[in-house]
Amino acid sequence: MQSSADAYDPVAGRPTLILGGQDFHSVTEVVSGVIERRTPRGWWVVFALSLCALGGLAIGVPWLFWEGIGVWGLNVPVGWAWDITNFVFWVGIGHAGTLISAILLLFRQRWRTSINRAAEAMTVFAVLCALTYPGIHVGRVWVAYWMLPLPNQMGTWPNFRSPLLWDVFAVSIYGTVSALFWYVGLIPDLATQRDRSRTPWRQRVYGALALGWRGSHRHWRHYEVAYLILAGLSTPLVLSVHSIVSMDFAVSQLPGWHTTVFPPYFVAGAIFSGFAMVVTLMVICRWAFGLQQIITIRHLDYMAKIILVTGWMVGYAYGLEFFTAWYSGNPYEVDVFVNRAFGRYAWAYWTMLTCNVAVPQVFWFGRARRSLPVLFVVSILVNVGMWFERFVIIVTSLHHDFLPSSWGYFRPTMWDVACLLGGFGLFFTLFCLFVRFAPMVAAAEVKTVLPEASPHFHREGAPTPPAAALLPTPSGTGFGLLGEFDSPATLFRACERVRDAGYSRWDAHTPFPVHGLDRAMGLRRSRLPWVVLVLGLGGGFGGFALQTWVHSFAYPNVISGKPFFAWQAYVPVTFELAVLGGALGAVLGMLALNRLPRHHHPLFESQRFERASDDRFFISIESRDPRFDAHSTPDLLRGAGAARLEWLTA
Amino acid sequence: MSHEIASAVIPRDEALLPASHPWARLPGAGLALGAVGLVLAVVTGRGSPEGFFAAWLVAFVFFLTIALGCLYFVLIHTAMQGGWGVVVRRVAENAAATLPLFALLFLPVALGLHDLYPWSRPGAAAADALLRWKRPYLNEGFFFARAALYFAVWSATALWFLRLSHRQDVAPSDAIAARLRRLSGPLLIPLGLTHTFAAFDWLMSLDPRWYSTIFGVYSFSGSLVAGFAFLALAAVAMRRSGLVPGAVGAEHFHDLGKLLFAFTVFWAYIGFSQYFLIWYGNLPEETIWYRQRLEGAWRAVSIGLALGHFVIPFFFLLPRATKRNPAALAAGAAWMLMMHLVDVYWIVIPSVPGRAAAPGILDGAALLAVGGAFLAFFGWLLRRHPLVPVGDPRLPESLAFENV
Repeated sequence: MQSSADAYDPVAGRPTLILGGQDFHSVTEVVSGVIERRTPRGWWVVFALSLCALGGLAIGVPWLFWEGIGVWGLNVPVGWAWDITNFVFWVGIGHAGTLISAILLLFRQRWRTSINRAAEAMTVFAVLCALTYPGIHVGRVWVAYWMLPLPNQMGTWPNFRSPLLWDVFAVSIYGTVSALFWYVGLIPDLATQRDRSRTPWRQRVYGALALGWRGSHRHWRHYEVAYLILAGLSTPLVLSVHSIVSMDFAVSQLPGWHTTVFPPYFVAGAIFSGFAMVVTLMVICRWAFGLQQIITIRHLDYMAKIILVTGWMVGYAYGLEFFTAWYSGNPYEVDVFVNRAFGRYAWAYWTMLTCNVAVPQVFWFGRARRSLPVLFVVSILVNVGMWFERFVIIVTSLHHDFLPSSWGYFRPTMWDVACLLGGFGLFFTLFCLFVRFAPMVAAAEVKTVLPEASPHFHREGAPTPPAAALLPTPSGTGFGLLGEFDSPATLFRACERVRDAGYSRWDAHTPFPVHGLDRAMGLRRSRLPWVVLVLGLGGGFGGFALQTWVHSFAYPNVISGKPFFAWQAYVPVTFELAVLGGALGAVLGMLALNRLPRHHHPLFESQRFERASDDRFFISIESRDPRFDAHSTPDLLRGAGAARLEWLTA
Repeated sequence: MSHEIASAVIPRDEALLPASHPWARLPGAGLALGAVGLVLAVVTGRGSPEGFFAAWLVAFVFFLTIALGCLYFVLIHTAMQGGWGVVVRRVAENAAATLPLFALLFLPVALGLHDLYPWSRPGAAAADALLRWKRPYLNEGFFFARAALYFAVWSATALWFLRLSHRQDVAPSDAIAARLRRLSGPLLIPLGLTHTFAAFDWLMSLDPRWYSTIFGVYSFSGSLVAGFAFLALAAVAMRRSGLVPGAVGAEHFHDLGKLLFAFTVFWAYIGFSQYFLIWYGNLPEETIWYRQRLEGAWRAVSIGLALGHFVIPFFFLLPRATKRNPAALAAGAAWMLMMHLVDVYWIVIPSVPGRAAAPGILDGAALLAVGGAFLAFFGWLLRRHPLVPVGDPRLPESLAFENV
């Protein structure tokens, strides 16, 4: 239990985020320990259950393809039901991951570092689950590729004016960018795993995936810019993707669907349900894997507050829709809302209101926000409520629209249930695999929020480091010299000295980016933003040009009375492709500027260098540097406070 | 994160506005401008009551949204336990504290009710079934009662915050800071709800047949842009005029610039969502609002708004260097304020049939009148208390703040 008199972080001027007096090494141990220890029995239980649930998809989907959509309970008028409910549900859940990673980064909320990795993984898996449903619901799955703008002998092209097609672009681009964001974040932690691997297979797999990352500050510089740019791109991406999903409904003329508040309302709802899912997962994982001091009660408290805030936004939208339906004076609008509350699906409506509006109010109370049982129960109820919200929006509007002769009722079949369960099975299977094999906490980022990560932190009464050991003279001109330092503060000052001494072929290596080291090393700002701008604008223009060409020249078709050049309808895909271009530019540009992957490097010959991804800080000076000298260079590093020196011979 | 938090403090006397400083004359200057504006507006608007009241409504909403935007910043920054912005927060508090004044400035709108709002005209509901339907909401009594509620909520919120913040100047206390932090979040709820319905009442009901659920959010997004633009301008001006030297710097400009950029994009997102969904559905009862704004002279204004309120500031505020440069940021902020005015004008004027599209002296006069009053009150508040919340526990963090 966190006490009110929390330890104080003198650098940030706020209570410490990470408990238990952790240092860099203990963070590595706690996080890597989850992967390196024997799999706990509980994991096998959850994994087995998930696989069973996944069976729902494994059996249900082939049967669906064989027999057709009729195996579901869909009918006329309810042509969309559980399939699209599940789609929107899972996309919504995915958005919280991006919000935690991207938006909280932009708002400089340092507490995100304990949960962002798991949340990003949750996003990638949720998007995969989401994409399953529109994929399988098309009917003739064997021609699903018609949704892509591929030149073909029939001369046909996709209908870029349809929100269903914008979904194809939006959700797949969202999945791609989220996966890229997740993977880029993983690279330093995969390097840690590589360096800690004791078996050759683990070393090869983690090593391959780590791309030869060696914690070089010259790399961190581009990496940090890429990460920030990805965050800056992912933020509008979250907003746009769920807005586009909401447009599946809002662009129609159906009462209950056609309402202008849908885009921000859906986004708020997505964040609401996504955070609830993160809370559910984190409550379990921190207990199961002993991560309570890194994913603390304070983190859960903040998440609960966000759930409360977004819950209010959702409630605001409910109230507003209700008011405006009345205010509009449109009898069909009024009827839809009366029917929702008192018609045949009233049970779903009131479940939704209870779970989404009433239940989260308990989070006004700090004791509730910090109670694990309450957090767990409320987060699950919120997700139940949000599933029902999508169900209510979709089904109640479809089953009871303008003409009474068009009214109907939807009942799910066992195959609807199987596909729903299968979605959960897929998600939890993937998540189980993730926590088993990948570092589920962004250890490198967590280290940056420890007070000692700041180069200006001075621990009182720190013991003076032992004098650096004498070095034997090198036998030949090896790669260069490696100096080891024990803290970011000493490293920072040493870098300033090396910079001032006029060296150019040198580098600093740290397990996490040290703030201000750019200046200490005399490095210029990264040029990466230009790459992103060019590729982003290129993507956008390309997308707009493609759509214009398709609808004005290649296959002009009058669709819902819109002009051929319906530029308004081209905006969603244009925007998504611009973001994709920018994201690819950021990631590929960063890798290119860093000349990664490079799996072999003389630095890896050093045994001590394994600590560079853990808790030690290094400076490497190449012998190719004009100022390099076998005596004065080690003297410089020794004088700057190096705890150890080593010749790199490779 | 920045250097270890120095125990940097600003003595209260250093943070007060010196009586000899040019800004100390703001109240007088504001009152003078306001008086001139009022007289000019009455003289030029004498012949056309619709024109007068429409111009007044535009000016009123423009300055009101600046005050509301500043209040949102104060509450959200405090609720999120922000550190960077404490140094500029007092300016925002003062701007928000002008909200009671707007109750007074609302009087002309009240007087012009029949000229501005078709539903309020006697016999209107009797003649039109739709207006009869809406009568429980759109009637004079309820309209004024709601307006009173809005001003009560806004004034109470702003004054509550300002009062506690001032108390902190004199006697810094963790208890006060904790109270501000705990209550800032919940206070956003009545603020958001009243703002939404104020937008419905004062702006959306200009065309009582039209409706849009996102309209409140649209007004909110514009107000955030206006608030941050005003704050950025005020911060640059404060530094330029040598007030509280060393307090506000490039780091704060950078953050204000980032927020201005972000909310400019947010405004575009909300504005486009509204337009797009109405365009796509193509239902006459909804499209009428946009048809009015896309035909004739208004077409150019709409295109100008899209370009000027989004495309141009997007690329202008994107580079890091622009946001950190006070002159560039001030130019960008001034531009955004102007664009916000165009936005409000574009919302109001096309819905007032008696008004021509082109702005005239009347509009300028109304702006002077309302703006002069706003500036006078704001200037008076600046004189009374320190320009920086000297007692706030996060002030040292704000002073030492450094962007990544």
